[in-house]
Amino acid sequence: MTDPSPEGTRTYKVEFTRSRRIIDAPEDTFILTAALRAGLRLPSSCTQGVCGTCKCRLVSGQVEMNHAGGIRQREIDQGMILVCCSRPLSDLVIER
Amino acid sequence: MWNSPAPPLAELIARRKPGHSLEQAFYVSPEVFSADLELIFGRHWIYVGVEPDLPEPGDVMTIDVGPTPVLLVRGDDMVVRAFHNVCRHRGSRLVDEPKASVGNLVCRYHAWTYDLDGRLLFANHMAEDFDRSCLGLKPVQLRSVAGLLFICLSQTPPEDIAAMDEAMTPYLAPHDVPNTKVAHAVDLVENGNWKLTMENNRECYHCSGNHPELTIPLFAYGFGFSPKSMNDAEREEADRYAAMVADLHDRWEGDGLPSRELEHLGDRITGFRTERLPIDQFGESQTFDTKVASKKPLGRINDPRSGGLSFWTQPNSWHHFMSDHVVTFSVLPLEPQKTLLRTKWLVHKDAVEGRDYDLENLTAVWTATNRQDADLVARSQAGVRSPAYEPGPYSPYTEGLVETFCDWYLGRLSAGLAA
Repeated sequence: MTDPSPEGTRTYKVEFTRSRRIIDAPEDTFILTAALRAGLRLPSSCTQGVCGTCKCRLVSGQVEMNHAGGIRQREIDQGMILVCCSRPLSDLVIER
Repeated sequence: MWNSPAPPLAELIARRKPGHSLEQAFYVSPEVFSADLELIFGRHWIYVGVEPDLPEPGDVMTIDVGPTPVLLVRGDDMVVRAFHNVCRHRGSRLVDEPKASVGNLVCRYHAWTYDLDGRLLFANHMAEDFDRSCLGLKPVQLRSVAGLLFICLSQTPPEDIAAMDEAMTPYLAPHDVPNTKVAHAVDLVENGNWKLTMENNRECYHCSGNHPELTIPLFAYGFGFSPKSMNDAEREEADRYAAMVADLHDRWEGDGLPSRELEHLGDRITGFRTERLPIDQFGESQTFDTKVASKKPLGRINDPRSGGLSFWTQPNSWHHFMSDHVVTFSVLPLEPQKTLLRTKWLVHKDAVEGRDYDLENLTAVWTATNRQDADLVARSQAGVRSPAYEPGPYSPYTEGLVETFCDWYLGRLSAGLAA
């Protein structure tokens, strides 16, 4: 985590274990968008939390997710997230 | 190898000798196999699984009926639906795994996304006038008969499934299949035509010589015999069995468990037969020691000595419902000489392995019996494909239901050809 910018936006560190990349992810930006900006190409399609193509395992950290049916509660309980509609609430480690 | 082409199907049907096994072409010919898939498996109610295959919303099961991939999914309203497992975009199969859990149904090719009701929710980059509402998944007819799932690929499925449902639900409901779980499932590929698998199931002539495990709990006498072929000791056993059936049917029906035989294998399009059969010795279950394999009784059955309700359907299933567990079998043709036998063992959904049941004990009888039957089917196939094979006579005492199966099958083929 970095200190808030002058506008008050925090930025977190998000590690993608299989891609072996750590990116900066602002708290107000969806993780998929931040990854895209950092040059990382994660499988995705609808970007609306519907299709589930971007489903990943969250190894550690917290996110705020607003999906639209693309993931089941029991998948969430098992630690899965949709990165297209999740914003970071802490530093994260994501299996992808 | 050079093969002479089979005669036209109508001629093969017309020249069948009643009371005899079918001609070779029915067991080996690719043309007959195609007709079987189209006219039998394409137009009748096919047993594919149980509601506990899909316990929660978003659970998906896939089945291939010949070249037709189908998916079953439980919706958020807890209703199980069936769809063709084919994307409406460019036809890709949607779900690959035999079992899956999904949020929505998503084609991984271009991420076309359908909800669990089959509606197309999302497809990006399509034309301005693209109408998602016209491209929902194609539905497949599905009917749950007291928790047993039957599908029909035809848009005009046989209506008499309702009569089977009505007749069978009182027999099946006490076992409460929807509140069981699949404790074990095995796919066994048998090296024979699917009809050999079914014919073998429809008689117990082979039981005494081949099924030393199954015939501990099950009386072979329940499936017919010729008194002349028996010695005094065997006749005594048969008499003991007959008295037992009469006595137990009265007792079980008094306890609210319908037990008497219903036989409609030959006179219905959706043919079936059922009877609650006594179990020998302790009389409880199809296990080596004839005692229950699971401590948690099913549904509203209080007496472990409630025998075993057997249920057979045309063209592709049989089932045994005991007080503690269910064994259920679905037959799916793979190739002219290869057949999938899918067996599932169900126990109460709250039964815990190791505490309430031992998996080995639960599955032992039918694991052994399936292996023996698969061997018999392969031997049958190896013989009927010989040039020396010619249809042989059925026993009127022990193979009546094999004849009924063949009769039903040929009748339904004829009806399909005429339609």
